[in-house]
Amino acid sequence: MPVVLLEGLLLMAMIAIAVAIIFGRSLLACVIIYCGFSLIAMLLYTVVGAADVAFTEAIIGTVSTVYFVIAIKSIGDKKGGTRR
Amino acid sequence: MKYKKGRKRAAFGLMLTIVLTAMAGLKVGSFLPIVGDHNSPANSYVANYYIIHALEDTNSPNIVTAVLADYRGFDTLFETCVLFLAGLVVMTILPPQISPEQRKRLVKVDNHSFGGTVLDSSFRLVVPVIMIYGIYVLFHGEVSLGGGFQAGALLACAYLLDRIIPSFDNRLGVLWEEKAVVLAGIGTFFYAFTGMLPMFCGGKFLEFGKLPFGIFLREGTVQLHSAGILMVELGVTLCVMAIIISILEVVLERTDFEEWRKSE
Repeated sequence: MPVVLLEGLLLMAMIAIAVAIIFGRSLLACVIIYCGFSLIAMLLYTVVGAADVAFTEAIIGTVSTVYFVIAIKSIGDKKGGTRR
Repeated sequence: MKYKKGRKRAAFGLMLTIVLTAMAGLKVGSFLPIVGDHNSPANSYVANYYIIHALEDTNSPNIVTAVLADYRGFDTLFETCVLFLAGLVVMTILPPQISPEQRKRLVKVDNHSFGGTVLDSSFRLVVPVIMIYGIYVLFHGEVSLGGGFQAGALLACAYLLDRIIPSFDNRLGVLWEEKAVVLAGIGTFFYAFTGMLPMFCGGKFLEFGKLPFGIFLREGTVQLHSAGILMVELGVTLCVMAIIISILEVVLERTDFEEWRKSE
C-alpha cells in the first residue's frame, strides 16, 4: 500500500508540473520545471522496478534540458525567452 | 489585449486536456494487471520462456541482456539505424553554415561558455567522473543495467558540459557535426558488421555464440557471448554519442550568446 501511495503522490506531482509549465511566464523557468518532470518520471520508473529505464530517463532528461536551454537562446528572443 | 485573452483561453484548454487525460489514464490504469502479477499476459507466456530457456539458448550472463541483444537483436539494431537517420535528417534540415576556416577562428574566440570560478572548479571535478562512469557502464553493459545507449548519452553529456561550461582555454577538441555523423555511421555499421561476422563461420545473423574468435575464446561460451555484446554496444555507444553531439553542434552554431548577454 505505501508504494501505491507514493506512486499516486508522484503522479499528482507530474500533473501539477505539467500545469505549471503551461502557465509559466518565462520559457527558461518552464524548461527547468520540465527537468523536474523527467526527474519525477525517473522516480516513478524506480518505484515500478525498471532501473535501467530510470537510468536512461535521468540522463536523457538532463541532456534534453540543455538542448532546450540552447534552443531558447537560438530563437533570438531579445527578452531571454519570455512569453507575452 | 485580445492576444492575451486568447492565450489565457488556450492555456486553460491545455490544462483541462491534461487533467482529463490524467483522469482517463488513472481510470484505465486501474484495469491493468498489478505489477509482478503471475497471471498477467506479459508474465505467463513470453517471460516464462525467457526465464527457463535464456541460459541454454544464448549463454548470456543476464536475462535482460539476452532479451535485448539476442531475442530482440534486430529491434536494437534498427533502433540504432533510426537514431542515425535522425542525425542525417537534422543535418539535412539544418546544414552547417560556417566554413572550416571560420571555425578555426570561432574556437579561439569561443562565445558559448558561461563558466566562472565556481562552475570551472565543479566542471574539473565532475566531468572526469562522468566519463569514467560512462565507460564503466559500457563495459559492464552485459552483466548490469545500462549498456550502449546510456553509456553514449553519458559520454555525450561530458562533451556537452565541456562545450558550454569552461571559461579557461585548454578544453577538449570540438567534434564538428559532419564528423559526428560519420562517426555515428561507423557505429551503426560496426553493429551490423558484428552481426555479420558469425555468418562467415556457419552461424546466423547476430548469433554471438559463433563469433570467429577461436584463437582467444571457445565457441558457445559465456565469455564469447559477452565479447559479442560488448562489440555491439560499442557500436551503439558511438552512434548515440555522435548523434547527440551533432544535434548539439547544429543548434550551437545558430545561437548567438553575445546578443543575449547584451540584452540582459
